[in-house]
This record gives sequence, C-alpha cells and structure tokens, in this order.
Amino acid sequence: MSRTNTNFIIAYALLVGLPILGLVGILKSGRVLAAPISVDGVWKLQTDPVLLAALPCGKTLASSPDAAFTISQSGRNFTLSLKDGPNSAASGVLDGTSLKASLVPSAPWSEEAGCGSGREISLVATVNPKANPRSLEGTLSVKQCLSCAPVDFRAVRVATPAKKGSH
Amino acid sequence: MLDLFKLVLQISVILALCRIVGTIFRKIGQPRVVGEMFAGILLGPSLLGWMAPGISAYLFPASSLGFLNALSQIGVVVFMFLVGLGINPQELKEHGHAAVLTSHVSITAPFVLAAFLALYLYPRLSDDSVAFTSFALFMGAAMSITAFPVLARILAERDLLGSRLGTVAIACAAVDDVTGWCILAYIVVLIRTAHSSTSIWVTIGGIVAFALIMIYGVSHLLRHFETVYRERGHLSENLLALMLLLVLVSALCTEWLGIHLLFGSFLMGAIMPKEQRFVRYVLDRFETITVTLLLPLFFAFTGLRTDIGLVKGQEMWIYCGLIILVATVGKLGGSMVASWLSGMPVREAAGLGTLMNTRGLMELVILNIGLDIKVISPALFSMMVLMALFTTFMTTPVLAVVCPDRLLREAPTKVPTQDAAIGALASADKISA
Repeated sequence: MSRTNTNFIIAYALLVGLPILGLVGILKSGRVLAAPISVDGVWKLQTDPVLLAALPCGKTLASSPDAAFTISQSGRNFTLSLKDGPNSAASGVLDGTSLKASLVPSAPWSEEAGCGSGREISLVATVNPKANPRSLEGTLSVKQCLSCAPVDFRAVRVATPAKKGSH
Repeated sequence: MLDLFKLVLQISVILALCRIVGTIFRKIGQPRVVGEMFAGILLGPSLLGWMAPGISAYLFPASSLGFLNALSQIGVVVFMFLVGLGINPQELKEHGHAAVLTSHVSITAPFVLAAFLALYLYPRLSDDSVAFTSFALFMGAAMSITAFPVLARILAERDLLGSRLGTVAIACAAVDDVTGWCILAYIVVLIRTAHSSTSIWVTIGGIVAFALIMIYGVSHLLRHFETVYRERGHLSENLLALMLLLVLVSALCTEWLGIHLLFGSFLMGAIMPKEQRFVRYVLDRFETITVTLLLPLFFAFTGLRTDIGLVKGQEMWIYCGLIILVATVGKLGGSMVASWLSGMPVREAAGLGTLMNTRGLMELVILNIGLDIKVISPALFSMMVLMALFTTFMTTPVLAVVCPDRLLREAPTKVPTQDAAIGALASADKISA
C-alpha cells in the first residue's frame, strides 16, 4: 500500500470513522432521554353544553355539535386553537401530565360571542397517557368573572394534525 | 372546494412579493433565492399574520392552503429532478482522495455535532411520540445538507465555477446532497414503518431494488435522450413530455415504496446522462417555469408554516442561537479543517467552508418533510428555517471577506490531486500525534 493511501486511511479513520463511532454512542445514550408527553393533535371536546353556554364566550362553542380544539406542540410549549373559536390561538405550558393554557380573544370575536372586553379564557387539564386514544380531563373557566363557575370537560384525541408517516 | 379566484390571487401576490424582495436582495449582493425565501416568511404568520391578521386570513385561509401546497410540491418535484440532473458523480472521482475526505468530513462533522445538540434539544423541543434516534438523525441530516443549486449560483455569479475552490465545492456539495438524501430516506422509512404493518426490511428491500433497477437498468434507456439530442440538436415536445412523465412515475414509485415523492425525482435526475450540453438544454427547458413560478409558491408555503412567534422568550432564542452555532461550526469548520488538511491554503479552505455552509432551498425542502412526518415540532421548524436563512445569507459577505476574488484568481485552477493530497494527508498524522 502506498504512503498516500496509508495517510488517507489514517485521516479518514480519524476524521470520519471516529465521529461515526461517537454518533453511535450519542444515539445509544439518547435512548434513555424522556421527552414531554405528546398532546399534539385534534381533541374532541365533551362537556355539558348548557353549562358551557352559561360561560361568557361559551355560547359559540356550545352551539357547535363538533366542538373541538387543536393543539400544536413544541416540547413543553403548545398553542391551542378552538374550532369555531377566536382566530388567535391560546398559548400554554405542559408540566408532566398537567397542561395550562390561557387566551385573550380578539375584540371582534369577543363582541360576537358575548364575552365582554378583556376576558381571559383559561384551560387547566390533566392528560391520561395510558388511555388509547389519549384523553384529557379538566376545567374551562373565564378569569375576571366571579359569578362564572368553571365548566368541567373531557376531551379525546381524535387525530394528530398530520398523522405520522403521512404527507 | 377550489376557490380559483383565491388561488390565482395568492399566486399573484406571492410572485409579486418574491420578485420585489428578490430584486432588493440582488441589489445588496445576495442571490435572488435568499430574497425569495425571505419573502415567503414575510407572507406567513411571522409578519403578515402578525401585523394584519385580517388580510392574512383573507389571502391565505387554512382551507385554501392544500391547493397551494399541491402546486408547490409539483414545483419541488421538478426542481429536485433538476438538482439530481446537475450532479455528476464523475466530478468527485476526478478530484481524488482529498475531495473525498473533505466531502465526507463536511457531512460527519455537522451530523455528529447536530446529534450531540439533539441530546439537549430532544427533552425541550420534542415529545414522546418521536423516538430520539429519529430526532437525532433528522437533525444531523438537516444540518449536514448543502444547497447545491444556491452554491452553484454563487460560484457562477463570482465566476468561480472553473476555479479550484469552485470545482471542489461543487463535488463536495454533490456528495453531501446525495448522502443527506439517503439518510433522510432512511429516517422517513424508519418513521413510516413504525406506524404501518409493513416491515422495515421489506420497505428498505423495495427501495434498494428500485434504486438498482434505476441505476443499472433505466439509466441505459435514458441515454436515448442524449443520443437524440446529439443527432438533432434538440428534443421534441413528445420526448420532453416523456422525460417529465418518467420523473413523475419515479416520484410515484418512491412515494408508494414508503419514502417520499422527492427521492424519486432526485434519483431520476441523478441517473440522467451527464453530457454538459445535454444537461444545459434540459435545464433550460424546465428551469424557467419551475424557478420563476413554482418555487416561489414553495417559499410562500414554507413561510406560512414558519411562525417566528413560536420562538419566544430568552430560552427559545438560546436554542435557536445554539442551532445556528452548531450548524455553522460543524459545516463551515468541518469542511474548512478537512480541506486545509487536504492541502488547500487556509483562506481558500475557509472559503470552501463558507460555501458548504450554504443551505438555502434544500434545507427548506428537508425541513418541510420533517414537519410533515412530525419528527420536528413547529417551533423547531421555525428555528431551523431561521438557521437556513442565516447560513445562506452569510455566505456571500463572509466569502468576500475570507476569500476575496483577487486571491482566488491567483490560486491555481487545478483541483487537489492525489499528489496534493499526500502533503495534506501527511498533516493528518500530526493530528494523530
């Protein structure tokens, strides 16, 4: 074997082979890492429509037979948008299996939905990771409204926004 | 339902803005494509949706985006065919060991660094529906890609295609792209088979069989295109339509096999005859409509999916900064060190590293696939789009500083050969010492 080839093999082993071995190590050690629980997808809302309609902003949601919301997740953070809800999305944080989100609807939507101005809709829920499909249980409430009782809800994940493996 | 008025309005707005922003970017010495990528971001939730949500909702309602996406995907299918067509494996063979080493290091360095960064980002920006292996491999593939077409355009604009720097950069970028796409194909297969009843080995077997048929069977038939072109000086409309049909069939095959449409079109381009005039002729036939009409739609669609608002708070911007840093150190640094060890003068090596760090449109194509298969989250997608913009934007000014034209004109045009590699690779002994 010529000196050129020998040098090439040495350089290749050092600069390419060694990092590839490192990559194998990284992939192995990464397997023990835990990422936040997945809540990404479309969730079908199951709640008492009468109680929901009693909430400020709740009339529009209660009138929809397919009330649902979509969660778009990025690690512990997520955005939540309500079907038939305001254009703006609620931002929230996931802590273990608990999730919290709040939303201040835009003025035109608030007016249309009879929310009153400056209302903040709050969602607090817990994910059941063992259920298949995954489910959520929690409360919907409106802040700055002492007379409004929080409404319990349950939600079942019906689909992820774009199912894995599809395009 | 298709709202034709809305679709034509969308296309008009996208084309107009891409032209305007592209022209502005040309005036500041950037390739037009960087401006068009930027225009796409301006049309999305990061600017238009944030500043004028009403106009944004009217122009780009969610229900209309499917049609825009379909058109843009057709554009990317044709574009990937053209990228494959421009790649000539022979070029790498001509450049000897030095170019092989440089190109492979320019993949492994950013790949391994990205996987290392994935250890930090996975618990923070992913979720438990994505396996760490898929996440880390995707990050690696996304960071090790080079925008072959943008790089070629920058070199052409600076009249460097025939220089040593230009030829090595083109050869290395070609290897990087082919390798990057192979790794990406593996990741897509890994994720798709995890959610299907088909075994991964059946899928991989099918893909390998398809690739072998294409390389050793179909490529021989494709030579007829070149023969006809040589004899007549042109290809008839029927033959061009047949070529396009073959691209689409190949794309459908790879989609059906469980990877992605784009792999098929890229492969069809890669196995096309590589005679220079023939390649130029085919590029001229397909490039104009693809680059001026269809690719801006892809930029706009990507921009509509990019929400810089998701990168909020100090913590998220630190992640974004880390991504840009790791991508740049891995790609620019890795290519620079390897080419310097291969005998290239240090400033020229820095120039090569800078060129290899151009990710541009290819990065956006990969990121869109990643978001589609949900291996990356929307926030990470936005950070990676920012990284693609940043690394592509920095290429021209950094290249002008580290490697001025005057210096390159003085450099020998001959590419590093085995002889040059001797000295270079001998330097590698110093590393081991």
